[in-house]
Amino acid sequence: MDAGLLLWILARATGLSSYTALCISILSGLALRTSVLDFLAKNRAIRALHDWTTWLWMPLGLVHVTTLVLDKTARIAPVDVFVPFRTSYGELAIGLGTLSLDLFLVITITSWLRRRMDDRLWRWIHRTSYLAFGALFLHAYLSGTDFDSPLISALSWSVALGIGVLAVSRITLGRLPE
Amino acid sequence: MAGWALRLAALATTLFVFAGSVDYAATHVKNAAAPLQPPVDRGPSGTLAPAQPTPTPLPPLVTQRGRTPAPGTPAPRLTIAPGVRLATLQPLTFTHVS
Repeated sequence: MDAGLLLWILARATGLSSYTALCISILSGLALRTSVLDFLAKNRAIRALHDWTTWLWMPLGLVHVTTLVLDKTARIAPVDVFVPFRTSYGELAIGLGTLSLDLFLVITITSWLRRRMDDRLWRWIHRTSYLAFGALFLHAYLSGTDFDSPLISALSWSVALGIGVLAVSRITLGRLPE
Repeated sequence: MAGWALRLAALATTLFVFAGSVDYAATHVKNAAAPLQPPVDRGPSGTLAPAQPTPTPLPPLVTQRGRTPAPGTPAPRLTIAPGVRLATLQPLTFTHVS
């Protein structure tokens, strides 16, 4: 198989699987405070899942951006991986992906440093994960090559809507009644 | 459900999506309707640079059965005129030489 083709296939597959892992991460994080997964497991197990999903999305996201930088057709410069809205085409669509990556990295690193941080500051930083997920979904919608596939589109939209409903419930109602 | 079972389920889901995505992307390499289309190389005027015709060396012709051209005879060259484009036709195959 041609190296360029392999990079292109890997970039698309890791993008979708990284999105899946981040959906699980957000869902488990929301479940900690909304009790929606109480029927499935105790909070301790869900918390362990939430922490562990970092090791799922991070390597996949890393491969996603690395393959796009190496793919000459995509024309993504190494600096575009961290500085948003400066690509020669699709500034918004690609920039939203960069923005979400930056936010998720900050959220993850501050979570590792939580014990050394002010708790209120950590909470406010952690709440930006809603913004990061919104940017990630728009990035997938505006730039995803596979998003016009009915199956991929339906799954992505339904998961994003589910997370959206849970996020609104979390903000407005707090912990859901049992 | 135990914590390890949840993590295993998350790993299996992610790997399943990865494998399915690889399969889908490999069978749908190009998508003309993709929202992002990286620009192609353009010339200084902003238009696509036309391909420059180059002479194509041809194999030596056999003029008579069993007799090849004298050594040192330059091979005939074919020059494609500007504006000639490649066609998406099956290559011609000569099945016999008369």
